[in-house]
Amino acid sequence: MNAVRTVVKMHTRDTLIWSGILWGLSLQFLATLIVVLMIRFFGGTTTFYPGGLIAICAIMFVVGIVTLNDTFPVALGWSCRRTDYFLGTTVMAVAVSAVAAVLLLLCSRLEIVTGGWGVELHYFHLPYLNDGSLIEQLYIYFVLLVNPYFLGFVIGSIYRRFGRAGTLIFLLIVFLLMSLFSFVWTYLRWWGALFHWFSQFTAFELALGLLPVTAFYLLVSYLPLRRAVV
Amino acid sequence: MSTIVEAECLTKRFGDLTAIDSIGFSLEAGKIYGLLGRNGSGKTTLLRLLTAQLFVTGGTLLVFGEQPYENRRVLSQICFMKENQTYPKRWRVGDVLAMAASFFPRWDADYASVLSKDFQLPLKQKMRTLSRGALSAVGIVVGLASRAPLTIFDEPLGLDVVARSLFYERLLADYVEHPRTILVSTHLIDEVSRLLEHVLVLDQGRLIIDEEAEALRSRAFTVTGSASQVATFTEGLTQIGGEQFGSLVSATLLGNADTGERRQAAALGLELTPVSLQQLIIHLTSTASHRKAREIV
Repeated sequence: MNAVRTVVKMHTRDTLIWSGILWGLSLQFLATLIVVLMIRFFGGTTTFYPGGLIAICAIMFVVGIVTLNDTFPVALGWSCRRTDYFLGTTVMAVAVSAVAAVLLLLCSRLEIVTGGWGVELHYFHLPYLNDGSLIEQLYIYFVLLVNPYFLGFVIGSIYRRFGRAGTLIFLLIVFLLMSLFSFVWTYLRWWGALFHWFSQFTAFELALGLLPVTAFYLLVSYLPLRRAVV
Repeated sequence: MSTIVEAECLTKRFGDLTAIDSIGFSLEAGKIYGLLGRNGSGKTTLLRLLTAQLFVTGGTLLVFGEQPYENRRVLSQICFMKENQTYPKRWRVGDVLAMAASFFPRWDADYASVLSKDFQLPLKQKMRTLSRGALSAVGIVVGLASRAPLTIFDEPLGLDVVARSLFYERLLADYVEHPRTILVSTHLIDEVSRLLEHVLVLDQGRLIIDEEAEALRSRAFTVTGSASQVATFTEGLTQIGGEQFGSLVSATLLGNADTGERRQAAALGLELTPVSLQQLIIHLTSTASHRKAREIV
């Protein structure tokens, strides 16, 4: 366990990457709030749903790629097992996501109490996404953070194992498969049926479905990391 | 003395390139080893294999009696400081030392603090802004203070001459107080030669010398004098190198000059001098002498 704890400690040394998640979101929120205040000042009356939460998903995705590139060489260089690095990084990502999820939930409650920050801005609390109980909402936030992180970690791991060319080939294959899927779905006119199928689930149920996807990302990132070199 | 590293027919290939070519050697506990060789001879590759940073293509490699790959028992006893070690972008020197304390179980924080002052490490400076010399100094401080049973320094000599001298001094002093196996890889042979108890020389991925430093030094000598007298003296002896300085000629010969040879040299007015480790290895690794190097191993 000590080795895993050491890896977690190593990640906490570079707080900018991890606190960057919150800084990035805070700055984007403040920028959005200023824009909405200006619109209100000039007489606008619309209710705003800027969808800013997407930004934190994107940040987590980028952090997933960056952390591996940043800390893996020194960990392996200092006689850390690849498995310990993987476990320590997973613990760190889960802990940061859990803390961020709690903060997001608090912000969403504050948003309700203040009437959308006094300007009907719905940044953290969104219809459908926040329909369930507080525990369900907390879980949804958590999954929305942890899932993109490990998707980024998959790419970072493939990069460490197969280098630039291998990563490009991997991304190209993914792009081609997605294009093929999209083409077939469009050709068979199945999009409507697909969206209809999704719409019967609550956000919480869909978030539960993301859990095995996240576990799959973990497995897919671990396998190349076991054979990565520095 | 216990063996801590055992390699048999160890091979590492990168595609068509054979970086380590079926070598066998062992390292014993409590000795200072020199891993010497020209740039590109396979030194760093071998060290990366020892520390499981690379994967073996063929042969066997045991470190502390076990396979090193993903082996916490083995890896926790190794500190490998390589010249091109990269650190997280925002880490400062102080972060490196603080984290090294967590990674290396035998870390001596007081000693690290003393060494940091000796090498004048700027603790608050970011690692990515350090000069090559300062980066080397950080690696040396971590390597020495780790007190790892197998401590490896890969090309630690990006330092200036004063700091290099300090490194040799501190290394020897600490080694006496805390004996452990130290492996220094470098191509600056003469500078480290006085530290070394045992020498391994790699050339194009092959281990051409694996010998005690003292025994190796006595493997050759240099004779200097006029061309005709040197030619007379070297008749029947194995010459592995030679140079000409004006009318003087020097020849490096295999073997330890015996009393008869010393008498003959004195009679011919020739000077016999011991060959330096660096000279010997240059002779042995130069293409023309390659075959002869293999003969003495």
